[in-house]
Amino acid sequence: MSEIHSLAGPYVLHALDESERETFIQHLRGCETCAAEVAELNETVARLADDAWSVPPPALRDNVLAAVRRTRQIPPARPVRVRREPTRWWRHPAALTTAACLLVAALVGGATWTVQEQRLRDERATAQAAQQELARTQAVLTAQDATVRTSDVAGGGKVTVVASPSQDAAVILLATHSPGAQKAYQFWLMEGTTPHSAGVLAAGQGTATHLVSGVNAADAMGLTVEPAGGSASPTLPIIAEIPMK
Amino acid sequence: MNGDEQPYQRPDRLSSVPDVAPPADAETLLRAVARGDEAAFTRLYELVAPRVYGLARRVVRDPAQAEEVAQEALVEVWRTASRFDPARGSATAWVFTITHRRAVDRVRSEQAALDRVQRMAPEATQTPADEVVEQATARLQRQQVRRCIKTLTDLQREAITLAYYGGYTYQQVAQLLGAGLPTVKTRMRDGLIRLRDCLGVEVSA
Ligand SMILES: [Zn+2]
Repeated sequence: MSEIHSLAGPYVLHALDESERETFIQHLRGCETCAAEVAELNETVARLADDAWSVPPPALRDNVLAAVRRTRQIPPARPVRVRREPTRWWRHPAALTTAACLLVAALVGGATWTVQEQRLRDERATAQAAQQELARTQAVLTAQDATVRTSDVAGGGKVTVVASPSQDAAVILLATHSPGAQKAYQFWLMEGTTPHSAGVLAAGQGTATHLVSGVNAADAMGLTVEPAGGSASPTLPIIAEIPMK
Repeated sequence: MNGDEQPYQRPDRLSSVPDVAPPADAETLLRAVARGDEAAFTRLYELVAPRVYGLARRVVRDPAQAEEVAQEALVEVWRTASRFDPARGSATAWVFTITHRRAVDRVRSEQAALDRVQRMAPEATQTPADEVVEQATARLQRQQVRRCIKTLTDLQREAITLAYYGGYTYQQVAQLLGAGLPTVKTRMRDGLIRLRDCLGVEVSA
């Protein structure tokens, strides 16, 4: 009996594996003592977030608000209502106009639905692309032949390049301050003295996990600050450089 | 005090502390959010985002991933706001529970990859230049939590912080601390109870 009660601690800390979590949730349904304790400990644990306070990147706000604008909210869970007898609308002349309105609404609703379906397909395609990128990123990070090189960024921060020759790809982890709202960080692969762009971050973005393909010919990876949108060739100075060979 | 003190005058406005915005109450905001109020969501964002992002960052460590986790969590707050039940806890606790759960899920799915990178490049994902100005209230809350964490025994403290900030399961925590499973789960629980009493946490049901 007391054995399962002690899971309340790990439970509120999200420190149970899935099967134990399920078991404990089952237990919670029947144990008022644990349910009350979990509520209080939950509240306690949430206070630990106070100690994690950190300034969010400015882009987060814009991204979240944009995502919210296109995200549909779920309706409140309503108690089940008793179904009423359907009213016979055809007996009331005034109801006819209502019926016509409903028909129009249904047609418009159909069009909206089609648009939503399309948007859903688009989102799915985007999500799939993101999944693929994530899978490739993980493949590079866990590759047997992966090498890890880190360099300071002039002015503060670090850049790490995890490169896998067998996958001819690298993952760049950038952790530095924002270059300013109108500027962007750009990565360069250097072959001898010839630079090739390896990607531009969004304007103002200072942290990133960035996947680059076709890195085997490169001798070094460089980082510069460019005008928003990036440049065709690097603007000096190069603020971080990591040898790739 | 000097001699030519002015007689007391009633202030024009009641808000006599100009720097502090009227305290937005998370629960009121969340209820408005549940009705689709985007302006209320923006205010709720201002209120919780530093802790949501900070928590995500502390748990997943990689800043880019922390940003993703924070975004996922905040959008989930918007999407599921109607399911918030004040009888079961505070609005902020609800938000941070969602955030922590998301962060932990992320860490567990990426554990292998992250372990590898962090083992080889320990400083690569550490805090860059964002140690910026803190709000006075946030600092105060932080101090209170830190003070209370100090009242725990070493084992209680390590078990709780490894699980919460590290995203480890209690089995992993037991391994890391070289302690038995029953000990670790008990220490988590009685540590949290001590923390609860120190912080004076109550649930008004
Ligand atoms: Zn119980």
